[in-house]
Amino acid sequence: MTTTYKSLALRGIAAGGIAGVASALVQLLVTEIPIRAALAVEEAREPSGDGHAHSHGEEELVSRGAQVVGGMLGVVIVGIAVGLVFATAYALSKRWFVDRTPFSRSFAFGAAVFGAVALLPWIKYPANPPAVGDPETVNYRTALYLGVVAAGLVIVWGASWLAERLRTRTQPVRVTAVLLAVVAAVAVVLLAFPAPPDTIPSDMPVNVLWQFRLSSLAQLATLYVGLGVVFGLLIDPATRRARAAEKAAIA
Amino acid sequence: MTSPAAHLSAVRVPKWAFAVALLGLIVTYLVLQENGLALGASSELLHEFFHDGRHALGVPCH
Repeated sequence: MTTTYKSLALRGIAAGGIAGVASALVQLLVTEIPIRAALAVEEAREPSGDGHAHSHGEEELVSRGAQVVGGMLGVVIVGIAVGLVFATAYALSKRWFVDRTPFSRSFAFGAAVFGAVALLPWIKYPANPPAVGDPETVNYRTALYLGVVAAGLVIVWGASWLAERLRTRTQPVRVTAVLLAVVAAVAVVLLAFPAPPDTIPSDMPVNVLWQFRLSSLAQLATLYVGLGVVFGLLIDPATRRARAAEKAAIA
Repeated sequence: MTSPAAHLSAVRVPKWAFAVALLGLIVTYLVLQENGLALGASSELLHEFFHDGRHALGVPCH
């Protein structure tokens, strides 16, 4: 039974791994296409490839092939790690859609986490392919990015808190109030954080840039929503009841 | 009628669960953000190895 933290954590690892593999496949089949195009832009910029950390000349640290495999492996590892954090947050949750089934709770949680840690930062600071980004500003950009992620998580937490506070109201009133509050909070975050510091270099084709950004968003959605769906499948007693019924039918 | 999630509110979360969650965050950081702050020189290898994944997941890079 999924009544102990350990059983939830193990399912978080499994769900994160599965969602990570799915996201890594999206990367291989979708995101790598604009990444290759962006690397070609970078290549054309510095044909000698000397000194730069992302050089593709003779002194490259990691081969292109290894970067593709490593990138996919990284996504799977992040999936597993996020799965653990996700399962822990789920186990700790006392308010999150408590009147719903475990599957619905997990699915909604995955979608909310996607909104907070992927979609919101993607809107404020859209993902950039290689050949975009000034190394001088990377720490500043990272701080801004993590700030938006933190703000997004606070909004999810706050929405859950508000929904609980309004539980005596009718559902339409409650849902409308929570939605309005979330929209207002998101608007404040988008206005309060400074604009992205980097300009897009003129040699970066707009279609490559946006193909990359949309691929990145698709991959993030696969990771987080996938995590919520698979974790929900693994923890919901309804899934096991169906399986037990199957077994009983066979026996 | 008991709520469908009633069995979940009975989950007791041990103290070490926070260590597990912290481990998850640290691993995420090492893969996505390590720019030399924690690991120094060896971070560049890690950085380059996970390069495509970091870009793909929309994390600031370079």
